[in-house]
Amino acid sequence: MKVAVYWGCKIPTAQYGYEMSVRQVFPYFDIELVDLKGASCCGGPVRSINIPAAMYLSARNLALASQTGLDDLLVPCNECHFMLSEAKCRIGDDEEMHRKVEELLKEEGLQYPSKVKIWHVVDLLHDKVTIDAVKTNVKKPLKGLKFAVHPGCQIIRPSEIGRVDNAENPRKLDALVKALGAETVDYSEKLDCCGAALLNSHKDAALSLAGSKLKAVQACSVDGLVDTCPYCHIMYDAKQKEAADTVGGKLSLSVLYYTQLLGLALGIEKEKLGLHLNQSFNLENSKFK
Amino acid sequence: MSLTDLMTMVKSNKGLQKRILSKLWNVHPDECFQCLRCTSGCTSLKLLELKPHEIMLLVNSGFIEELVSSDIIWTCASCLKCRERCPQKASPYDTIMALRNLAVEREAKVPETYMKMLAQILETGLMQQVQTVTSREMQPFNRETLGLPKIQYPDDKFKAVFMTVLGG
Repeated sequence: MKVAVYWGCKIPTAQYGYEMSVRQVFPYFDIELVDLKGASCCGGPVRSINIPAAMYLSARNLALASQTGLDDLLVPCNECHFMLSEAKCRIGDDEEMHRKVEELLKEEGLQYPSKVKIWHVVDLLHDKVTIDAVKTNVKKPLKGLKFAVHPGCQIIRPSEIGRVDNAENPRKLDALVKALGAETVDYSEKLDCCGAALLNSHKDAALSLAGSKLKAVQACSVDGLVDTCPYCHIMYDAKQKEAADTVGGKLSLSVLYYTQLLGLALGIEKEKLGLHLNQSFNLENSKFK
Repeated sequence: MSLTDLMTMVKSNKGLQKRILSKLWNVHPDECFQCLRCTSGCTSLKLLELKPHEIMLLVNSGFIEELVSSDIIWTCASCLKCRERCPQKASPYDTIMALRNLAVEREAKVPETYMKMLAQILETGLMQQVQTVTSREMQPFNRETLGLPKIQYPDDKFKAVFMTVLGG
């Protein structure tokens, strides 16, 4: 099947490991990704400045997705997934907003409503591809490895707009990791926020949030932390050393995108999954052979 | 009759309160009954002393001006727990976003980073420029050397429309 894909801003401008691994893994499940042409920011950072402008940005990307003629849209970034889902809900119910957005989109020759179904990596694999299909494709089971998963905030909340997993007890990412032959741990900080939204305005607080969670994960004696959001990943991977300095103590935890872990289990080479770009991933000391 | 804070003699402003409510959709700040579920789970409570229930109380009492010019509205981490857990659909998260919008309109203290991102979206459509990254072995990589396709940016028409949206 063909699925349109909206990358947002963080992934295509810096988080290349996520983009590479997403592009690598989906063909294994007969999913062909179709890039949107002329996509813009989802409106996430604009929401604080001007809510209608943020809605317009999301609506525009949804309209671009409809233009492909495909029924499904993959949005691998948690923040973008929230914004697009929220906009779809609001524009569907709020007639005034609907009219406003339609008028604006017309100027670019675009059309709303958008009927596309919005997917994230987690539910596309868990619900559509199915756990069984993931298991069947595993060539190198990750036996003996144990991970903590970080679902992130914005794909599980708020549940009223329809989210990827349960808001208070998300299990899908655990199930996806277990499908690869690895184990996952339950830990009480699982729902804690990475702090990324505060990184540019309240750096110490942001690093402290990330550092506290990483410390808690490290105390579980896991082989790594698995995430699915470019914002969370920056905090836990690239900012890990700074986070350790902020909270005190040492942190040495391999942090990977789920699609990178999946890629390893599918037998894809590390370079193709962008694993050399993960700052925290320690190939020499790790059990990832 | 409006409320007056006897410590500071600040008066409540019902006009601004209406402006905040008009920016919201499908959430009802005025139904907050101060149960503190928001604050008890707030990501920014411990480190930045954000107390969402107090924000709700101030909004409902009409002390908007004080909030809009305060740093506190910029400490929300957008984790959405308060929106999820609020039993009254009052959503402190959405209320804080509306307060931030008003702060921008009134040219109050807005963290520079938001305006920088906005300028970048106006320039390229995306919130940041495409970056060269380094591997763990300190080798530089970019989209091209990683074999990733070129980004297809939006054209100038988008920028023109987006400008009009921002203009009101």
